[in-house]
Amino acid sequence: SIDVLMSSDKEKDPDVIPEDSSLLTLRIRKKALERREETIIVDRACRQETLAYEMESHAIGKRPDNPADLVEEGELLLTLNIFYPVIFQKHKDHKPYQTVLVLGSQKLTELRDSISCVSDLQIGGEFSSQPDQAPEHISKDLYKSAFFYFEGIFYNDKRYPECRDLSRTIIEWSESHDRGYGSLQSAKMEDYTFNDLSVKIGFPYLFCHQGNCEHIVIITDIRLIHHDDCLDRNLYPLLIKKHWLCTRKCFVCKMYTARWVTNNDSLAPEDPCFFCDVCFRMLHYDAEGNKLGEFLAYPYVDPGIFN
Amino acid sequence: MGSVPGLQADCEELLGAFQQADTVRFERFAELWRERRFHAIFYGRIRALERNKLTKKTLELAQQYFLPPYAFQIRVGALYLLYGLYNTQLCQPKQKIRIALKDWPEIQRFQQDLIDSQHYDAAYIFRTLRLARAFHFTAMPKLLNYRTKKKIQENEFKEEFKDPSNRVNSLITNDVLEELMNIHDHYQKMKCVISTDKSQPDKALSLIKDEFVITLKDITLEHQEWQQNRMKLFLNAKETDEIPNQKEEATLLESEGSERANALARIKYRSYSAVVEASKSRRHRQVKLESSESGSNFGKSPSRNKKNSRRLQPAKRRDAVEIKVAKETVTRHIGMPIITEEENLDEE
Repeated sequence: SIDVLMSSDKEKDPDVIPEDSSLLTLRIRKKALERREETIIVDRACRQETLAYEMESHAIGKRPDNPADLVEEGELLLTLNIFYPVIFQKHKDHKPYQTVLVLGSQKLTELRDSISCVSDLQIGGEFSSQPDQAPEHISKDLYKSAFFYFEGIFYNDKRYPECRDLSRTIIEWSESHDRGYGSLQSAKMEDYTFNDLSVKIGFPYLFCHQGNCEHIVIITDIRLIHHDDCLDRNLYPLLIKKHWLCTRKCFVCKMYTARWVTNNDSLAPEDPCFFCDVCFRMLHYDAEGNKLGEFLAYPYVDPGIFN
Repeated sequence: MGSVPGLQADCEELLGAFQQADTVRFERFAELWRERRFHAIFYGRIRALERNKLTKKTLELAQQYFLPPYAFQIRVGALYLLYGLYNTQLCQPKQKIRIALKDWPEIQRFQQDLIDSQHYDAAYIFRTLRLARAFHFTAMPKLLNYRTKKKIQENEFKEEFKDPSNRVNSLITNDVLEELMNIHDHYQKMKCVISTDKSQPDKALSLIKDEFVITLKDITLEHQEWQQNRMKLFLNAKETDEIPNQKEEATLLESEGSERANALARIKYRSYSAVVEASKSRRHRQVKLESSESGSNFGKSPSRNKKNSRRLQPAKRRDAVEIKVAKETVTRHIGMPIITEEENLDEE
């Protein structure tokens, strides 16, 4: 009975703004629409927008197959913004970030595993003389250490024996002189869940991996889990927003993503120069595989690889 | 990524009409809603992503009116508004209303008040929203976003919507009066006990007025009535003044605190008709204005500058004292007590 009072009687098309509207909001909106019509600006969803919307809403309402994976009532849902470490000139005003949803009862290690950073995939070494022997192991496998910094405590990843305590340097540095940071402590990442932490919303915290790749982490929202949210525990940490980075294409064909970068290349027009695999080999090596010209070549992983 | 243009104006207009109607019945609100065909606020060929954002912002704006320090009627109106917006939104699945944890006890108290004063329709609507799982229980009321805004927008809400800040009343509540009465009686009895004549205290012991508690209560009531009258006067003054002088220069702005109070109470839809280009050219002038008031109203300066002073001068002199109090309440709401203003008030 109460609902009926609210909606309109006639079937109205939500796309058409009624002519004689007294609402200022609608008048302004209508003006914008009319202006677009006059100047023949077509407003369609570009693929970035479709992707963004899809990411935001793909997990809404999902339920797990296995009831044991169901998220309980009273679970907390945190929204984290994890910023990219790249510092391009054009990112001065607003740094690009990805948004991740985590449950309160999840461990910090689960978040760490879900952060995908291009520096994890780097392959070290110069391979101009042996392009076919570029090793398979990536930095992620070689340098496994990482830490989170929340509220004066460094949470180090100690799951594997080769993980080192990266925060030890910082703690020693702050204790060596009275630098005014209070006491910084160290703890193990795998022992703590998000529920155990006390955090400030909007305050920048740090995630560091690979020794020097630093990401700022900001918690933007904490709320109780809702009936309409995704209730499948396996899908968390859930990525809902990602910045779209344009990939660098090969200089020659302009079609494929660059896989090699060369320096001091006598055959290349600029330094550094990016090539896809095929063009790289065709230009720098002859039919027998001998190296032509002088250059230094490194395998390249583009930041846009996660698009 | 700022606020939705025109939305605040529309909401305030609806809530203002509801306040004028002077009732808290849902039927009345529904009539006003239908008059304005408010459900169409989400129309206009908006795509899904944008629509989500828009709906979120709309609900957030409406939610702000639901909490103190707004007047009771406005809060009930905001409840109805939230109900309407939640049900007529076009997003699927529906966007939720964010309530911060700290506000929740306040809202529960509000609901209890509704039930006690037998406004069952409002209580029912609140219950319906709860059952429909329309709320997100969050830690913080506002969802953060990280774009650098060129101007920090502070929402200036209508002065009339707020409960007249009743410091006198909150100090001298019924409990306090009762307690005072008790203590007074006790004191009188003590005096009787130690005096020679057991039935009444010695003349030498009468140091206070006997009737002071009752006098206090009367004064408080008088103050409350006076405040209500002043509010009515405010509203009337606003209605008589219809001609905005948009191009007037602000010459005596700082010295006339009362005029500014009056103009402040009028920060409304006129700001939308105000000339935006003027604000840029006069930006240097407005620096003083901003710092004392609230931090940003770039687009609103001309409307504030318009004095309407000539016509309202006689009325203003008369209301000078009352506007002083209004000014205090206004500055309090904006939250930046300024020493200079106090001086002006003292001069007046």
